[in-house]
Amino acid sequence: MLDNRGQTRIIEAFLAIAVVFSALIISAVTFPSSPTLTKQKSLASLGIQALIELDINGTLGKLVAQENWTAIKQSLDVVLPIGVSFNLTIYDENLIQLNSQVIQNTNLLGRETVSVQYFCATQSQNIQFFTLRMQLAWTR
Amino acid sequence: MFLLYCLSILWLAYSRQATPRGSFLLPASSIDTFLACSVMIVLVLSAMVGTSKLMTPYIRGLSNRDDPERLQQLASHILLNTGTPSNWGETQEVTPSSLGLAKADSFLPYELDIDKVSRLNSENAYALTYRELWESLGIQDVAFQIEIGTLFELSIEATSNQTQGADTVYEFEVTTKKSGMPIPANLSSYVVVENFVNNVTSSTSSNGVGSFSINVPNSVNGTTLLLVFARAQANPRMVSFNVYAFGHNSATPSPNRTFLSLSPLNYVLNVSITYSSTEILKAQVFTFNYNFSLTEKAQGNQTVEYNIPRLLDSSPMILVLTGLNGSSSFAEWVSYPQLPLQIGSDFSQSIAGAKIVSQTTIVTINFALYEVVTKWGGPT
Repeated sequence: MLDNRGQTRIIEAFLAIAVVFSALIISAVTFPSSPTLTKQKSLASLGIQALIELDINGTLGKLVAQENWTAIKQSLDVVLPIGVSFNLTIYDENLIQLNSQVIQNTNLLGRETVSVQYFCATQSQNIQFFTLRMQLAWTR
Repeated sequence: MFLLYCLSILWLAYSRQATPRGSFLLPASSIDTFLACSVMIVLVLSAMVGTSKLMTPYIRGLSNRDDPERLQQLASHILLNTGTPSNWGETQEVTPSSLGLAKADSFLPYELDIDKVSRLNSENAYALTYRELWESLGIQDVAFQIEIGTLFELSIEATSNQTQGADTVYEFEVTTKKSGMPIPANLSSYVVVENFVNNVTSSTSSNGVGSFSINVPNSVNGTTLLLVFARAQANPRMVSFNVYAFGHNSATPSPNRTFLSLSPLNYVLNVSITYSSTEILKAQVFTFNYNFSLTEKAQGNQTVEYNIPRLLDSSPMILVLTGLNGSSSFAEWVSYPQLPLQIGSDFSQSIAGAKIVSQTTIVTINFALYEVVTKWGGPT
């Protein structure tokens, strides 16, 4: 037979357990960022650095103005590590897509991607501005 | 959870009123205890959350001592800073008090100094040791390794040779690839033996393979060097190079650095002659587009210095010295920047579970692009 005092003690015990577990959960939620986030940051850094290096002396802007999408794809193939997949889309000042063919090495479908954005211009009297958006993912 | 607690109090209060016999399930003291408990629980929870919030920065600081982000920032620091003094690469005797490989007064991010890079190569007479680098980095709890090389690989294979009149015609096959992926490239090749130099241009196709033939007169003999520069068709700043040594009308050549020790620094080629019987015939510099003879700057006991021109060609320089050791001719070479190189900890021997972070960065050295791979490890 359970008396009233016994019921209260059981409820108290359950509540105590719940309190302890909730404290643990709260602590876990406030813990630092996950390694996946760091990996994605590193990928974004790799992508933006590759575009910066390709654009030294205005090379990237020149290739875009010439619509030489093959050369841009081949350049990215060389500067990015072999384990990185990319997809680059190039827009003009009015955000109208310029590249008539896909600039990518492999399909990014279903992969966790990171997106970087880079602006470049032609180094000529008739200056044109371009926005480059590149999605990157690690090849699993 | 708090909702569950409130529900239980409501249930107890309802039970107290709903009993048919008029007696209470809970005495009044129990209700008071519940109220007191609820206050205590709120206090304890608040205290735990507060403590957690206060401690988080300290816990994060401790747990992030070797996290990838911190190690990646260290890699960027080395490649974006000049170090102290900012021109430490140029002076033979100077060891940097803080480590940085960036070129002083550069307007480009990730542009490295040709001499700082060359001083990382253990074959350079003025190279820094890993211990010196580690001390100048100034961070005690990490080990690191730096690898610098060209963006893609270039391999050379001799396919045939035949005598045609006064010359021997050599045929070579060149492959330009990056981790197996073909890179179409334009090729500029030089053959050097004694005082003779010949240049041919060709290219590799979309499968990364190309071939060419080159004539060498039979009036010369000895160690012959074939220097091949490859420039990616997609971008002229992506350059690779390789050197192939073979014996022309002579036996198999001795390994490079047998007769001379070559150390380029601050646009001066420092030559240390191994044997007193060695005589230097000619010193030359080669790039993708140009080749020149080097002018002698100074001569000492078993040492010679040559001035290296500051060329604007986006290409590494290959410095070649030909000479005689007794009656046999030799040819030895060094690249400037002195690449490829690898210095630092050997992480292949790391124990399982050790944290190792690798970062690949594209850098500029003298207008050409190269790849830097830094590996970082901390205590487990």
